[in-house]
Amino acid sequence: MTTSTKKMFQITFLLVGILTLFASCYSVRLVSTHGAPNPCQTGVEPDCMEDLGNFYRDKRVVVIDTVVKAGVTTDDIGIRVQRSGCETGKLFSVEYKNTFGGSLLYLVTFGSKRKVKIKYICMKQ
Amino acid sequence: MANTISHQTSQWDTLHNNGPFDLKLLQKTRLEGKANMPSEIERYNDVANEIRRLLQEALNHNEGFRAYGARWSMSSIAHQKDRMHYNVFMNLDLQISSNDVHASSVYDKKNLFFFQCGNTIKEISQSLAAHGKSLKTSGASNGQTIAGCISTGVHGSALGVGSVQDYVVGLNLITGPNPEDVVYLERLSKPALNDAFAQKIKSKVIRDDNLFNAALVSLGSFGFIHGVVIEAEDQFLLKRYVKKIDKKVALELSRTMDFENSSFHIPGEIDGNGKPLKPYHYKVFINPYTDEKEYVIEAMYKKPYTNNYPDPFTTIEKSVYRDLIHLLIKISEKFPKKIPFFIKRLEKQILPDVNEETIGTLYETFWDAPYQGPAFACSFGVDSKDSEKALKILIDLTKNEGPIPGIYAMRFVKKSEATMAFTKFPVTCMIEIDGVLWNKSRKLIGLKEFSRRMIQVLQQNNIPFTIHWGKNSDWGFPDLVKDMYGDNAVEWKKQRNKLLSKEMAKVFSNDFLKTIGLSNVEDTENVEDLIASI
Repeated sequence: MTTSTKKMFQITFLLVGILTLFASCYSVRLVSTHGAPNPCQTGVEPDCMEDLGNFYRDKRVVVIDTVVKAGVTTDDIGIRVQRSGCETGKLFSVEYKNTFGGSLLYLVTFGSKRKVKIKYICMKQ
Repeated sequence: MANTISHQTSQWDTLHNNGPFDLKLLQKTRLEGKANMPSEIERYNDVANEIRRLLQEALNHNEGFRAYGARWSMSSIAHQKDRMHYNVFMNLDLQISSNDVHASSVYDKKNLFFFQCGNTIKEISQSLAAHGKSLKTSGASNGQTIAGCISTGVHGSALGVGSVQDYVVGLNLITGPNPEDVVYLERLSKPALNDAFAQKIKSKVIRDDNLFNAALVSLGSFGFIHGVVIEAEDQFLLKRYVKKIDKKVALELSRTMDFENSSFHIPGEIDGNGKPLKPYHYKVFINPYTDEKEYVIEAMYKKPYTNNYPDPFTTIEKSVYRDLIHLLIKISEKFPKKIPFFIKRLEKQILPDVNEETIGTLYETFWDAPYQGPAFACSFGVDSKDSEKALKILIDLTKNEGPIPGIYAMRFVKKSEATMAFTKFPVTCMIEIDGVLWNKSRKLIGLKEFSRRMIQVLQQNNIPFTIHWGKNSDWGFPDLVKDMYGDNAVEWKKQRNKLLSKEMAKVFSNDFLKTIGLSNVEDTENVEDLIASI
């Protein structure tokens, strides 16, 4: 095998690896067809989060990005919507993101550490 | 008490990133909580006092003040360099009882509803649905506030209905800082609510057709629109069809609106004599860079409401990567000749699926239009009789002096009674090009330059036109408003000067109004002379 062929294999392997990593990181969003989202002004109001993606422009988003410690006997984990940022207590959309790092963390810790990445928007008052 | 948060700031922008624009102070008012003030009327009047206080502050600082809602306009119509007020949290709806309806009202009392300015079309639609009612029409989506819609003339393509402002029958305006500056305005010829209702909202009554028609499409400059009374109708369904039809037929229909004698028909959508029905909505999509023999059209037919219809929402929704669009635009700026190729590839994402059929309420049919990155839209109103000719002229311009990253569509709207409505023709054809915002480059024409050329080619071809107030254009084009509206522009200014004091006319002006030559104030008769009752 020549050096250039080796290099090509390495680059291809790297690209496939990167693509696999991308594919292992995805999000799914559940959106209500009723109710209006809690508004804010992206890029104008300092407390209105930016760079969350097109869907989130001009919507007040609550982001949960944490690692939850769980025992081996823990089945499911519930997260309660707090009053702050969600005065109505009603949800307009919820997005769960699955990351490669999160899956890896779950595997190497045998499920005792679980990465949770959620974005949600509440209904407008 | 209602509470206002003020932010010292330096910039403001539209939803679609058509700015940025300079700004000193951003204000946001929240209503008093229900727990502390259970009465809706009390909360409504309480926040009116707060708005009057903010207007006094603006006056004290010799600064301008402008309310805005969802910031969907792409022109700078919503912008004020001094003080801007974000009103989306002012979203009460007040109950209208039969005791509130004017004795001479021509409206069915069950169809009258009062909404505060910050209610979005979506919120209003949901609120009406709870009463078995619907708006008569909306724009292509539902995120705009009602005050923003009527101030800029938001329209759909409802052939027999008109624009959003055309079903507004009463306006509650705050024209200054004093208690007597709260005004309830409606037509003298078609009163809706009585003086007792106006007293509940602590308003002085003005019934005047000319003033009302001028204030309907106010460009945000007839005071703070606090509330609107709308005439709704019974909930209905829209059967929607997307078809590819012969280009000649699509254009002939656009020109004549003669659906009855057209070769275009949809099985089942015919009258008792077997003739095609006139649709509720008709829209034509045009890719300016292809010379196809068929155009994609969208037709909708009104049906009686029943709750037994399939859910019109698709469950799974996918969108194109934002970075991919950004990349295509960057390539287009360097290699404009690639634009037609990109548009052709993205046609599936841009155009509705051919042969798609859905049924749903107005609310469900014109649902959320997701933000898809910085965008532009240029929209010209012409007499539907001129639609084919005007479209050809604009397409030729786009091909010869572009290309630019957008596609055309035509929608059709019934004439409005509003003095400055761009839907001023018997049936106005709105020819619009929408797309992704781009930067001018050595090889690619800029948006302002392109907008100017659009005006020039229509003028050169003697086609009377108007421009959508909330869309991109070269608004500083010489004599633009005079050419578009003639005496109506003079009448609009006259009515504005009657309603507002000199000081308040200045407060409610902005650079957009100055640019188009409508901000100047003249001495006119006193507003007291206008107060009428029947």
